[in-house]
Amino acid sequence: MLANFVSIPFMLLLSVLQSTAISRITLINGCADLVLIGVACWGVKEKGYNAFVWALVGGLFTALITAMPFYIPIASYIFVALLAKILFGRIWQSPILMLIIVVFIGTIFQHILSIFYLQVNGVNAGLITSLRNITLPSLLLNLFFVFPMYVVVSDLRQWVLPGEDYE
Amino acid sequence: MKPVSSNTLRNAVVVFLIIGILFLALSGYLRPVLGVVMDPFVAAQRWLSERFMAVYDFFTLPRDVTELIQRNSELEDEVANLQSQIIQLQEQLQEADILYSLLDYARSRPADEYIAAAVIGRDPSPFLQYIIIDHGSDDGIRYGMPVVTQQGLVGRVEAVTASAARVQLISDAQSTVNVTLQTQDADALIEGSISGDITLEMLNQNVSLNTGDILLTSGLGGNYPSDILVGQVVDIQKTENELFQTAYIQPVVDFDTLRAVLVITNFQTTNISPLTNETER
Repeated sequence: MLANFVSIPFMLLLSVLQSTAISRITLINGCADLVLIGVACWGVKEKGYNAFVWALVGGLFTALITAMPFYIPIASYIFVALLAKILFGRIWQSPILMLIIVVFIGTIFQHILSIFYLQVNGVNAGLITSLRNITLPSLLLNLFFVFPMYVVVSDLRQWVLPGEDYE
Repeated sequence: MKPVSSNTLRNAVVVFLIIGILFLALSGYLRPVLGVVMDPFVAAQRWLSERFMAVYDFFTLPRDVTELIQRNSELEDEVANLQSQIIQLQEQLQEADILYSLLDYARSRPADEYIAAAVIGRDPSPFLQYIIIDHGSDDGIRYGMPVVTQQGLVGRVEAVTASAARVQLISDAQSTVNVTLQTQDADALIEGSISGDITLEMLNQNVSLNTGDILLTSGLGGNYPSDILVGQVVDIQKTENELFQTAYIQPVVDFDTLRAVLVITNFQTTNISPLTNETER
């Protein structure tokens, strides 16, 4: 229960950081998604369903800021939590490797959703341009932020749920 | 006559001797003699003084080092404080410069009413080009209001809360702005893209477009006031078998470094959708 309560200030902090700072750090046109990484980091470290609450809270905060429809961030983060749940303990018991895979697939899923939404709304979001200018740079930046975020989330988890780590 | 006493005579001799020696000393005649006499004393005094100071330092230096370390730490703190103050002042100066520029722009267009707002965030999605400003409906900002800087057009307000608003930049993929060429009577559209590039569209093939041509808002469509600087042509794409020519546009505003904007509050946007619906029917 405490883990779910902690998700509110933590995800709020990540959303604010994302909007004020991380969105300005761009590589070509791509940028990292701290909330997605945060959900993935929490998801790869637990057997329970708290990651889904984290995904929902993070998605709601992001939906307040972004001009994308609310269901895109929420669906993306829930997909990330689901992926972490499915892959939990299946890849050499290694959270780091699993985390990289979850962030990689989660980012691609989120971008496919965004491109689909834009195409439906009449925007010519060319697949090659999106992949080259946005998705690949975003992937690189997400993977860059994975390790510091993993350390932060691990510490937070030790504090919230002491002795419940599955490494 | 009273005889001079031997005491008086002795005293007089002593006084004369002293005066004489003083005179010789002041005249410099006694310097070699004094040197011979004084040098051993000076050397002995120097030796003694050095040894004394060494002993004195031995007992007092540790305390001085502690004091120096403390003092050094205090001074370092003070330097850090002053550096932080300098950074704050530079920041304020930069903000003041931006606000002065915005004020100059507002004065140059007295017909418009403005609200200055700071840029406090960007859209988290890399596919969208939006900024978030720190003024909302409580400050009089409404949906659709045009947003500019002293350089030119930024975009329009797309969503408003009580204390903040989201502004769609003209580089956003869903943004279209009616523009006109400054030097010719030719209307066209500019469109953004997911990568933030802006292209000029729907420009008649007969219009002679040149690199460096300036684009202004035309006011058509009722979304933006007319005659606001938008950008200039940097690359022209003209194909004979196309109906229209296109071109890449360099916006005058650098959206990556936007820190403050002006929202035009007295501009009434015109909703022409009923007219277009009527036409489609």
